[in-house]
Amino acid sequence: MLRRAFLKVAPALGLLAACGKSAKIRLALDWKPEPEFGGFYAAPFEKHGLDVEILPGGAGTPTVQMVGAGSAEFGIVEADELVLARSKSNPVVGLFTVYQHSPMGIMVHAGRNLTSIGDVLKEGTLAVQQGLPYVKLLEKQYGFAHVRVVPSPGGDLTAFLGDPKFAQQVFITSEPLAARRKGVAVKVFPVADIGYDPYTNVLATSDDTLRKNPEMVKSMVAAVREGWRAYLDDPKTTNEKMHQMNPSMDADTFAEVAEAQKPFIEDDETRKNGLGTMTKARWETLIGQLKDLGDIPMAIPAEECFRQL
Amino acid sequence: MSTGVALRLEGVRRVFEDSLHNQFAVIAGMDIRIEAGEFLALLGPSGCGKSTLLRMIARLDQPDGGRIVREPEGDRAQTAFVFQDAHLLPWRNVVDNAALPLELMGVAKPERREKALAALGQVNLLEAVDRYPAQLSGGMRMRVSLARALVTEPRLLLLDEPFAALDEITRFHLDVQLRELWRSRRMTVIFVTHSISEAAFLANRAVVMSRRGGAIKLDRIIELPEERTNELRADPRLGQEMKLLLGAIEE
Amino acid sequence: MKAFRNILPPLIPFVAITAAMELLVRGGFIRSYLLPAPSAVFLAIWGNGPELAQAMLKTSASALAGFALSTCTGIAAAVLLSSSRWVQQAFYPYAVFFQTVPVIAIAPLLVIWFGYGMQTVIASAFVVSIFPVIANTLSGILSTDPALRDLFRLYGATPAMTLFKLRFPAALPQIFTGLRVAAGLAVIGAIVGEFIGGGGLGSVVDVARTQQRVDKVFAAVLLASLLGLALFGLINLISGIMLRRWHASEQS
Repeated sequence: MLRRAFLKVAPALGLLAACGKSAKIRLALDWKPEPEFGGFYAAPFEKHGLDVEILPGGAGTPTVQMVGAGSAEFGIVEADELVLARSKSNPVVGLFTVYQHSPMGIMVHAGRNLTSIGDVLKEGTLAVQQGLPYVKLLEKQYGFAHVRVVPSPGGDLTAFLGDPKFAQQVFITSEPLAARRKGVAVKVFPVADIGYDPYTNVLATSDDTLRKNPEMVKSMVAAVREGWRAYLDDPKTTNEKMHQMNPSMDADTFAEVAEAQKPFIEDDETRKNGLGTMTKARWETLIGQLKDLGDIPMAIPAEECFRQL
Repeated sequence: MSTGVALRLEGVRRVFEDSLHNQFAVIAGMDIRIEAGEFLALLGPSGCGKSTLLRMIARLDQPDGGRIVREPEGDRAQTAFVFQDAHLLPWRNVVDNAALPLELMGVAKPERREKALAALGQVNLLEAVDRYPAQLSGGMRMRVSLARALVTEPRLLLLDEPFAALDEITRFHLDVQLRELWRSRRMTVIFVTHSISEAAFLANRAVVMSRRGGAIKLDRIIELPEERTNELRADPRLGQEMKLLLGAIEE
Repeated sequence: MKAFRNILPPLIPFVAITAAMELLVRGGFIRSYLLPAPSAVFLAIWGNGPELAQAMLKTSASALAGFALSTCTGIAAAVLLSSSRWVQQAFYPYAVFFQTVPVIAIAPLLVIWFGYGMQTVIASAFVVSIFPVIANTLSGILSTDPALRDLFRLYGATPAMTLFKLRFPAALPQIFTGLRVAAGLAVIGAIVGEFIGGGGLGSVVDVARTQQRVDKVFAAVLLASLLGLALFGLINLISGIMLRRWHASEQS
């Protein structure tokens, strides 16, 4: 009795604590404002009657915990993070995916003349975020016996540029462009090639918020969908807005990345079923993979992980 | 036969600055002559400059005017100073503390240990030579400090209220011991004190300084027997001397 | 019996808080993915024994090495700074600057300069822990009893004699104060270095965090604290032995 009352009150207290006025909606990003979030910054929230505040993030922003704890109503998470969270009693649900396919990849110097992702692990250094499921999968498939694994330096290319045998985890749409600008020829191996392809940059909310405020959530998704449409059609103004907030990426790169990411966002699937659409089959595949890797103790129902609104 | 030095102070002047940058003369031109082998007590109210004078005689400070002449001029070993607190090195034992001056002067270890033990013997502290300062009473620590002062066989022994922090009984005993040490060596001793009874008991000659400016209000030869024991404490003659000194201080 | 008496006072709040946390998480008042139950943390340690032990060993080695470096360099630097007022005024502000630079900002730079590996972790531990050593050693050397300095001057001691026979030994209690602070900081520096450079408990925290294994995160953090505590205890032990004979406060 007491516990349920407390649980009901706690998120509200969190909400109240954060905003002084009426229902301000917070959307937490898991990185700095960059083209991967363009559609959110372009979204017509006011038109849908929503007062949304976008909270930029950085390295290690715990969006999935923020949504669970109530310090943000919405957050951008990866599909595998979401499954993990649900399996740990943090019921977060996906509503809209920006990337239909994972833009995660391993970038190497072109001069190494490597032909497959397995070649990367034969020598040199590999910089990855070591807790990620795909890393475990990579180790399982090829083994790390001959490569030195070090922490991923985020978007920083200094180590990569200084060492021809350095391989780095990247977003295909981002760091390789920056490397080419610095005059370095690179090759990128998509992680999807080893069969690991979770939905990426998923707009998520808590089960609780969805249950209590279904109309608001629906409006949010609609606004986001329109925002991404607008951003895909013309990213220029939104890019300028984001560049102001994140000067570490220059204007030209903003334009390049916005262009390069298009095939990940809009494809036959989305043309048929709408931007941000997700399928049960993809979630089921992911859940199966995570169970095999031992990241979750048992499978969870795929239909609980997402909603199509 | 005395082993002490004689001192001649001519127009000695020392000026200090207070917190408001006003200059004032702590000692405004002092002239005094101290004979070799004298035991002189320096008395005066707080702030009268007696410690300052002692430091200048020790050459730890320089006068701002006038001069202090030693006869004969000598080397470092000549002067010893005993402070109000024993100021021993806590990480060294008693004998190493006593030997410190010789160590600083480059004397070899066996020789300085021998001399240190001799000095400690003179202050009756041989049973404690391996102990550390933290294990000693206040009186014992002061005796180590005295031994340290004597280890170079100084010709000028300067003491700045050395027994002030000790209890009366210990004080009485150390007074007697100091007097005996002086009698056997006859170095020149200048003993700064607040205590009228101590000054009268210990010294051959007492000098009372004025409250300000370092003028000499009284310069008197103490008329008491050469040998001074604690029985003298109850002697009316001591009282007489004390009365005279008190009178000079109070006027 | 006496040892038990000494442990009892701090033990009571520990037991009380641990029990309270356990109840709060089990009862659902605190969400387990935000704060793990103490039993979960214990199980995480138990269940990952070899991995955590190896990580702890690695972090210990780096922290100790960084600490040893900052002890030697820090004391030497302080001795140099104490030699003249001009030297102090010229260089001490840089030492202070060293202290204020946030390690999390320079750790990536350290990786660039020293590469991936233990050397960077040691460098990070060093950078973070050196300043308290310098500050406390310098303060100790400069605050020598003036009467003793006079005594040394009276007998014509050279500046070198005064430094090594008086000022440095007299500064030992304060040096140890600095070392106590530096010990804990060295562990922090090592962990931060490991976030960026890999290995040890820092890496365990990083990976566990990504995997949303908050129990393992806390387990690693707890072990890191124990490491800091152990180092602190070691310094106290050494300090007690070295200052045993002479410092009144060490005898109690």
